[in-house]
This record gives sequence, C-alpha cells and structure tokens, in this order.
Amino acid sequence: MDVNTAFSWLLIFPMISSAVIYLVGRTFSRSVKIENRTNPARWLALLALLVTGVFLYFVIKNVFSTGQTHYQNFGEVWFRFDGISLLLSLLVLVLGILVTIYSFTYVGKEPGEEKFYALLVIMIGAINGLGCALDLFNLWVWFEVMTISSIVLVAFYKDQAASLEAGVKYLIQSATGSVMVVLGIALIFLETGTLNIETLRMSISSPTPFLIIGGALMVIGFGVKIAMVPLHTWLPDAHSQAPSGISAMLSGVVIEVGLIALLRALGGIALSGGRWGYLLIGFGVLNMIVGNLLALRQKEVKRMLAYSSLSHVGYMLLGFGVLISLNGLMAGVGAIFHLITHGLMKSLAFLAAGVFLYNFHISKGSHKPLILDDLNGASRKYPFTAFAFSIALLSLGGLPPLAGFMSKWQLLAGVAQTQNTIMIVLVVFAGLMSVLSLGYYAPLVNRMYRKEPAAIVMEGEPVSIWMYIPMVILTLAVVVLGFVPSILYWLTGPAGYSLFIFFGQ
Amino acid sequence: MLQIEPLVIITILVPWIGALVVWLIGDRHEKIQHVCAVVFSTTAAISSIAMLWVYRSGTVLSFSMGSSYGNFSFVTDGLGLFLATVATVIGALTIIFSVDYMRGSAQLGRYYSFVLFFIGAMVGLVLTSNLLLMFIFWEITALCSYALISFYNDDPKAVSGGIKALIITQVGGLGLLLAAALMYAYTGSFDINIFISNPSLFPSNILGVMAFGMLIAAAAKSAQFPFQTWLPDAMEAPSPISALIHAATMVNAGVYLLARFYPAFKDVPGWTLSVMIVGMLSALMAALMALVANDLKRVLAYSTVSQLGYMVYAVGAGGILASQFHLFSHSVFKALLFLAAGAVIHSVGTRDMREMGGLGKELPFARTVFIIGSLALAGIPILNGFWSKELILEAGLEHGNPIWIYVVMLIVAGLTALYTIRCVWMVFYGEKKQGQHIHPIGRNMKIALTPLAIGALTTWILIGPFSKMMSLSLPVHFIQEIDLGQLFNHVVFAPATWIALAVIALGIMTWFGKPALSGIQEILKPIAGIAQESFGFERINKFIVDATQGMGENLRTTQTGKLNWNVFYILVALVVVFAVLMIGA
Amino acid sequence: MNISTSMIVLTAVMGLFGIGLYCLLITRNLIRVLVGLQIMVKGAMLVLVFVGQSQGQPSLGQSMALTVIVADTIVAVVGLALAVQVKRSIGTLDIADISKLKR
Repeated sequence: MDVNTAFSWLLIFPMISSAVIYLVGRTFSRSVKIENRTNPARWLALLALLVTGVFLYFVIKNVFSTGQTHYQNFGEVWFRFDGISLLLSLLVLVLGILVTIYSFTYVGKEPGEEKFYALLVIMIGAINGLGCALDLFNLWVWFEVMTISSIVLVAFYKDQAASLEAGVKYLIQSATGSVMVVLGIALIFLETGTLNIETLRMSISSPTPFLIIGGALMVIGFGVKIAMVPLHTWLPDAHSQAPSGISAMLSGVVIEVGLIALLRALGGIALSGGRWGYLLIGFGVLNMIVGNLLALRQKEVKRMLAYSSLSHVGYMLLGFGVLISLNGLMAGVGAIFHLITHGLMKSLAFLAAGVFLYNFHISKGSHKPLILDDLNGASRKYPFTAFAFSIALLSLGGLPPLAGFMSKWQLLAGVAQTQNTIMIVLVVFAGLMSVLSLGYYAPLVNRMYRKEPAAIVMEGEPVSIWMYIPMVILTLAVVVLGFVPSILYWLTGPAGYSLFIFFGQ
Repeated sequence: MLQIEPLVIITILVPWIGALVVWLIGDRHEKIQHVCAVVFSTTAAISSIAMLWVYRSGTVLSFSMGSSYGNFSFVTDGLGLFLATVATVIGALTIIFSVDYMRGSAQLGRYYSFVLFFIGAMVGLVLTSNLLLMFIFWEITALCSYALISFYNDDPKAVSGGIKALIITQVGGLGLLLAAALMYAYTGSFDINIFISNPSLFPSNILGVMAFGMLIAAAAKSAQFPFQTWLPDAMEAPSPISALIHAATMVNAGVYLLARFYPAFKDVPGWTLSVMIVGMLSALMAALMALVANDLKRVLAYSTVSQLGYMVYAVGAGGILASQFHLFSHSVFKALLFLAAGAVIHSVGTRDMREMGGLGKELPFARTVFIIGSLALAGIPILNGFWSKELILEAGLEHGNPIWIYVVMLIVAGLTALYTIRCVWMVFYGEKKQGQHIHPIGRNMKIALTPLAIGALTTWILIGPFSKMMSLSLPVHFIQEIDLGQLFNHVVFAPATWIALAVIALGIMTWFGKPALSGIQEILKPIAGIAQESFGFERINKFIVDATQGMGENLRTTQTGKLNWNVFYILVALVVVFAVLMIGA
Repeated sequence: MNISTSMIVLTAVMGLFGIGLYCLLITRNLIRVLVGLQIMVKGAMLVLVFVGQSQGQPSLGQSMALTVIVADTIVAVVGLALAVQVKRSIGTLDIADISKLKR
C-alpha cells in the first residue's frame, strides 16, 4: 500500500469506525430484545483496531525501508511520522487491542456497551494522531479529543456517584489545563508567527518573555494530564473509578501521551534556554516522592496503583529532563523504554486488579472499591491472576529479572552517564524511591499468598477466558522483556533519537 | 572431554528449569515435586563439581546485550567457582533435607521453585564478570530470600521479616547499583576484570564513591554493621532456608563482593580500615547478642553475623585467601548447625532453648552432628573452623594492620566459644523439660547431615588445591599458594594460634565456672541488657519506618478531594513555575 | 494593530482568564464552575483571534478560534451531562458534597 494512503487511513479510519461501531451497536441494542446475544460492537471494535494496525504496519514498513521519517500534509497542517509516533501508535494499539478483548467480559453486561467501544477506538485514534502532529494547534486538537473521550470513559458507570465525581473532577481540571495550553500556544504564535514545530525551532534565536510564559503555560497545561505533582489530584479518582480496562489505558498510555505532547511542544521552543529540562527533573523528583508516600498507606488497590503511576511518571520526567538539559540521549532512551515497560506492567496490574474487582464485586452488581483485605489468600482460588498481579507489582517495584528493572536501570545508567554530581545523587534518590515503593508492593504480594483466603475470595466468580488472554500476553511480555531487553531496541532507539534531535544543541 | 562452557550454562540453568518444572507440576503431586527438586539440584551440584577440574581464567562465555547492558559474560576463576560449588552442593543437601522437613506443607511448589531459582541465581552471581549482571543476580537472590522468609504468609512476623530483609538489602543494593552506573558512565563497560586491573582509569573521588558504595552493598547483604538487624528476623523462614540462604550462600555474597574488588579499592584512603572496623563491630556486637538470645535459630543467626564479621575483617586486613577459606569452612559448619537445629526444632516443635534441654538422649544423631558443628564454630582444632579462623587472625597481624582491632577479634573468638557452649548445653544437656513430644529425625535429614558433618571435620585438608586454584586464576589478587604442610607449619608454630586457643579455652571455662564468676556477671549485666535490645538498631529501624509511614499518612490529608482545592493547586504550580523560570532566566 | 488596541485586548484576555479562574477557585455550584470554565475559554478564543490578527494571518487565528469553540462546546456538553447525572444520583450540585473520593 502507498505510504501516503496508509498514513491518511491510519488517522481517519479509527474516527470513521468509531461512528460505525456506535451506530451498529446502538441499533442492535435497541432492536434485539434477547438478552443473551452479544453486541456486535465489541467485534467491530476489535476489527477496527486490527485494521488500524494493518495501516500502521504499512507506514512502519515504509519508514524502515527508506530509513527516513515520513512527512505528510493536509493543507497547511503537517504531520511527521518518526520514532516517537511509531512508539506511541504501536503501544496504544497493542494495549488497546488487549483492553478491548479484556472488556468483552468486563463491560459485557453493562448498558451502553457500544459507547464504551466507540469511545475507546476514538481515544486510540486520537493518540495515533497526536503522536504524528507537527503543528502545535493540531497537537492540541488531538489532545482534546483524547481527553474528552477519556472523560466519558471514566464516568462510564453513569449511575455511580463515585464514578461521576471522578468524571467531574477530571473534566474540570483537564479543561483548565487545556485552556492554559491554548493560551500558551497563542503566546508562542504571537512571538514567532508560526505553529509548525520544526519551523518554530529554527525561527527562535533567544528566549523572550512571551516564549517563556507560553512554555510555562504549556508545562502546566499538559502537566495536569501528565499528573505532575501537585496537578495530579484528578488522577487517583479517575484511575480508581474507571472500568479497569480504561484504568489500564489511562495509566499505561494516556498520561504518558501528555508527556510526549509536552515534549513535542517544548521541542519547538527548547532553544529558548536549557531550563526546561531542569524544570521537568524538579517535577520528576517531586512526583517520585509524593507518589510513593501517598501510595504507602493506601487501602484501596486501584488507588494505590494510581499513586504508583505518579512515581513512575517521575522516573520518565527525570529521564526526559536529562535528555533535554544535559544532552543525555541514553537517559531519554531509557525513559522511553520505561514508558513502554510501565505501559505493559501497569496495564497488567490494573487488569489483574480488575479481574478481582469484577469477580468479587461488579459481577454481583456492587460497586464497592477493591480493598487490600479482599486480596487475602487470593492465590488459592485465582492462582494465575494472583501470579500475574505479583509479577506486575514486583516489576513495578523494579526487581530483576523483570521488565521494570531493566528500564529503570537503563534510565538511571543514562542519568549517571552525564557524570554530573547532582545527577548522580539523583540516581541514588531514584533508587531509594524504588526501594520505598517495595514497601507497598511487597505486602500486597504476600497477602495474596496467604493460606487462609478471605471470605470474599471464596465467593468470587470464576475468571472468563477473555480476561485471561490479555493477562497471559502481558505477563509474558513483562518477563521476556526482563530477560532480553534488547528486543525493543528497534523501537526505543529511534524514538529517543527523534526526541534528541529536537533538543540537541 | 569436559568443557567448561556447557557446564556453566548447566549449573545456572538447570536449577532454573527445575524451578519452572516444579512449579508447573503443581501442588497436587507432592511426591513428584520432591523428586524433581532433588534431581535438578543434584544435577547442578554434580555439574559444578565437574567445573573444578576444567576451570580456567578469563572469560568463558559472553552474550552481547547491547548499549546499556554490556556483554553478559561469565568467568570461572577460583573465587567464583568455589562459591558456586558451595551453593549448589549445600543447595542440593538442603533440598534433600527439605524432603523430610517440608513434607505435607502447603504450597510446596512455591517453596521448591524459589529455592531452585535461588541456587541458579547464586551461581550466576559468583560466576559473572559483568557488574550489571552481578547486580541483577544479586537482586534475584534478595527476591528469593524475601519470598522464602515470608513463606508462611499467614504469620505476620514472617511477612514483616521478609519485607525487612528485602528493603534493607535493597537499600544496600543501591550502593552496588551506583557503582555499576558509575562504572558504565566512566568506561562504557561493565567488565569487572578490566576494572580491577586498571582502577586508575577512574578519578579518585569516583573510585572512592564506588568503593564505599560497594562496602554498603556488602554490609547490607552480609548483615554487617549497621545493617545486621535483618538477619535475625529472617529466621522466620523454614530452617533449610536459613541454612542455605542465610548461612551458607547468599549472606556470603557481600564478602565475595569485597574480596572480588579488593585489588581495585585497597588504595582508596580509609577503605581497608573501614572494612576492618565494619567487620569488627559486627563480630563483636553479634557475639554479645548471641550470648543473651534464647531462640536457637537467632543464636545461630547472630553467630553467622559474627563469623561474617571475621570474613569481612579478613578482607580488610588483606587476607583474601583467609577470608575465602573461612567462608568455605563456615558454609559447611553453619549449614550443618542450621540443619541440625532444624531437625531438633522439627522434633521438638519449639525454637526457644529454655524449653529444650536434655535432648541429647532422645536425639543422639542430632547431638553428634550439632556438636561437631559447634566445635568447628568455636574454633577447636582440628575442625575446619579452627584452621580458617587462625589464618584470619594471622592475617590481622600482617600488613601493618591496627593491633587493637586484632585484640577485639581475639576477644570475639573467646565469646564465640562461650555462646557456642551455652547453646549446646541448653539444648542437649541440662535437665529435661516436662511434657515434650519428640518426633524422630527423618532418614533424608540424616542423609543431608552426614556429609556436612564429615565436611566440618575434613574440609581443611583441601587447602592445597583451594589456594592453588585461587592463586592461578586471580592474577591481580596476588594470592599465595600454600599446601597442607605449609598450613600446618603456619598455624601450629605461630604464637598467635596459641594465644587464640588460650582465649577460646578461657571462653569455655567461663561457662563451666560461671557460678564462681557471678561478680563479673553483675558487671556485664548492663551490656547484656543493651545486647538484648540489639544495641538500639531495632529502634532506629522502627523510627525510620514509622517516620516514613507517618509522612505518608500526613501527606494524604492534603488530598482533600475538593475541586476548589485541586484547582488551587494548579494555580500554585503555575505561579511557582513562573517564578522559577523568571529567577532562572 | 496599534499598541493601545493590543493592550486593551490583552487586558481583556487577562481579565476573562482571571474571572474564570477565580470562579473555579471559589464557587461551589457545579453549574457555576462550568460557567467559570467557559469564561476562561472565551479568553483563550479572544487571544487566538487577536494573535491571528496581529501576525497578519487573521484567517488562521479565526479558524483556530472556531476549533476551540467546537472543542469547548463538546466539553460543556459533557460537563453539563455529567452535572445532570450528578444531580440525579447524588442529589446535589454542591461540589463540596461531591468530594467522597479523597486521600
């Protein structure tokens, strides 16, 4: 297939198919009264994502065969398919497909199932677009589409007070953030007269107040979405209340997408001084410590996982900050690797927690949160799920030989490579934070392997096959990446380099 | 003919495959699990023994892993090879012991999987020459240790003991992580052998950071001052685990690390002295604590810390061979002691020595082997502990090392004899307690204990090949080869030996003469009190944990969940970022 | 565009932004919070039109503003729909009462 066609379809196809999914699903659920028939929306969603994957394949094939990034324009708006786009599209599609399969059971009995799939597909499409956008304003548009679809997904249980509350908070805070981003874009445009990130980069010679204010507004605006401390307050609510598949997507991809968007935007104005990287490092340090401390005493499993996302974003911020300000290509590559592994292991953790939540509570019509005590002795009845959850948690805690260790290592080695004393201190700090995080992961693992199961465990429903498939795949991925991290070099290397050429002086 | 390359792979991977197999068999087929675990661990042991005949220096295997991971390479020099042998052989013996000890226990698959996983990782740890890979194996052993300490997850003490061990060794592991990161940052490679032959490639301050980072890592892993608190709590693990991981193998990794890097760091100012002091403090404090503890396994744990202190001290004093030789002896006799203690505990059903007493008649086999182990621990000739301890004390007098540390170590030798005899007495002699139901000791337990008891009597004969292997394969460590006759001359005709023996004898006499020494006991009472409180280290640990938890709890109150406050935080962040950027500009 | 006009527009933008933010900070009624958000967004639209004008690309500025209007409308719709559901299932629109999720 021609690369231009494939690329156009990559952007357009999810949008079209989302509408189709919704219409077909809606018609079906209105017309068919028989309860046991499955809604075709789920299969359509899976199909749509697979077809998008085919388009992606053609684009990737072209990019790798020519060895160059792919540029394409729709009118004045330019797109660029580079290492970062590749990484983001691939990660979001893989996780999206797994989450779709997982949700066959999870939202299968809910009314409005078709909305779920339609929104999920649109969200994935928006992330695809965001990864390639080369125009600041266009970047914002994709970002907004992603945000809105994820807000509706968070408030999916629209009769539940808690999930509505999470949705409201998420909406207000994201919207505040995105207004700031618009303002920042406007100021940068006012200063330079262009919105194209590459042109922008060339037209800037010195830092001016407007550029700095614009940049700061974008840091904060995107920062809300990245959940930089103290802008993170929506995150634990949204992640814990969303259907677990969506929690996995939010934590595994969406907050990282905010980070990528911020890096893209900052890439345009990076030459206005090297301080942006230090700013990110500062937020990274704050994120690590606050995220870990908040998770330490958490009683709800999904909230704990949400707070742990804060600390993991902190690691990525540290890596990217070093890439920006200290020319640490390796740290950037490490941060990207950590982005991938975090996506995999955090999704796995949320999916496994979701299995427990669904079988203990949701399938019985209750919307109680999953608390730590519910997991006592869970391995007795759910051996595989408990195992997968343990793998995910220990990997998040950075224990070898799991993927989480490898990516943290690469990141920290890259940070140390700067040979800067403060950075070396930060390596120790980050390591210490990783140890601290074991303080809440490890007891949870121990809990699941008790001999005496909690009553709720024994009353739990059996796990459906659709939930097993994604968990098996993700568990394998986390373990295999821990043993052979090099199999992802083709992905992390180009992505890191794409970022590097934006910021390299 | 035998080739070294496949043997290395077999020794690491066979236990790991075994771990997978045992886990996949599932807990419903207990018998098959037992058999599988024994078969796989014995295979690894045989393969590692076979390596002793074909070892050679230099890299034997190397897998390229790309940029930030270096080449995952393996060497089979004396230092690593003998530890690998110890790990697999004692591993196999503990697994045989476990067949009786763990019979009928729930979740047996998890138990055996982690033990086998541990054995493979331990072998990898000592055979690799890539610092990053060493760190990875280092952490895997910590993971296994944690999982096995808290094997009885329903017991909160076991869980907290496991987590404590994990956290403390991880904190120490940061030192190793930092060293690895710095090594990579300054050379772009992880090869240990290149590093120890040319430490001058590094700026001296960086080398200092690495040296002390490694010392922290080693101290945490080997339960040395000031990290010693985790080992006694680790005694909640099943006894075979205590024997294997917390006496014979994993805790030696710290000593191994120090010995391995000694040539690179010996010129770092203050490093050797710090190593000696760490060893001395651990040896002294742990011996005092062993003197007042009443839990049989805790006594052994303290004595492990104390003996590891000797080894650390020996490394600091420049006696690499002495430290490794004592490590060898210690692995054998301490594994013997722990397994024998496990057999006793299994029979009696309690770990408190005050509830034992007079068990010698019921358990003659356990008594015999336990006493052999104890005599070795106390340093009585001609058992292996005697020879190696004398070598250490002699090394302490060489190289112009401070004499006062030597004197303290000498006193510790006396204390060792004292607490050992106290322990033996309380368990096997004295008056019999009422109402005990005593199980006989199983056949597999005896099978595992016998070779260890023979080992404790005889391993010192191996000094010739042992030192030859070390001196041939470790060119930069400058280890002297000595044969049996030289050892004999060396030890028997040194005045230090006789002084040490006198001190040991004094220690033993103190036990028998204790009614006459009540005055001294009165003087020592406050020290005993402090020793029982672990010299305040437990309190420091508790304070750190509580402070962190309290901080977490307090921070949670800032998460009000009120939308207005959340928006306010956004505004604050905006203002702060503006301010920072303006000041920065 | 002369300097004074720019100043007036920028002041207006700052004003709208400030009013909106103030509204978000102190009001407790969910509808009013959404209104505050709208005011902020109006400031953003104004600034987009203005920068398009001052950079000599008025059509670009306007089209951006239009896009923001569309996006903002969707946000408002979703927000109001949520507000309706909140009123239905919680029974209040006071955001001080919609703060069960915390810590």
